[in-house]
Amino acid sequence: MVAISVDPAADSHRLAERMHYTFPLLSDADAATIRRYDLLHPHAGPKHEDISRPAEFYVDQNGIVRWVNLTENIAVRARPEQALAAIDAARHGAQ
Amino acid sequence: MRRRWNVSLWLGFVVVLGGLFSYVYFAQFPMTRDFPWLNLLLIGVGLVLLATGLFRAFGNPRLYRGKISGSILAVISVCLVAFFCYEIFFVLRDVPASAGAPRMGENAPAFTLPDQNGKQIALADLLSPHGAILMFYRGHW
Repeated sequence: MVAISVDPAADSHRLAERMHYTFPLLSDADAATIRRYDLLHPHAGPKHEDISRPAEFYVDQNGIVRWVNLTENIAVRARPEQALAAIDAARHGAQ
Repeated sequence: MRRRWNVSLWLGFVVVLGGLFSYVYFAQFPMTRDFPWLNLLLIGVGLVLLATGLFRAFGNPRLYRGKISGSILAVISVCLVAFFCYEIFFVLRDVPASAGAPRMGENAPAFTLPDQNGKQIALADLLSPHGAILMFYRGHW
């Protein structure tokens, strides 16, 4: 699992240390990847900078998207059990 | 006759403020963040108390105080609640359409990005036999 945002790597380093996150927090500072995934939320940052909207994808070993969660409310995020259920369903479907 | 202190006015105002500011606390939990029902419930109770106080102040001014203070508290409360509702029902839901986002069955676009330790990580590095979850987030502030 990876998390991706426009945050600089130094900020993510501090966040990961404080919260004891062990997964990578990737820094897409110029939002190029976020744009490629069409997830840019213009001027939505605390200083009106362009940021990513929340979104979750499950990608299988071949790089194919098997689950997408695009929220319509930034306060509503995928819950861990929801993501795990979707992954289980995708993997069973593939077998 | 000395007029009574209009307690429901002030209690209502305090409950409305509590309902608004406790959002910061309740937003930590998905149960109360997905839809802030607990905040709206508190705000509703506060507004009913405020309205009761106002009815007393204007309906029975010889017995109850609060015509002026009650009006001020009511106006402040209504403005704050309107701002809260605007944020909850419009701003939080104002997300882009993302019509071009990768769909089920499509290839996930490749990327290579630095992690929090400066190490470059490519999508291909993440694709173990179990696959990978990509979690895009707004950032931390």
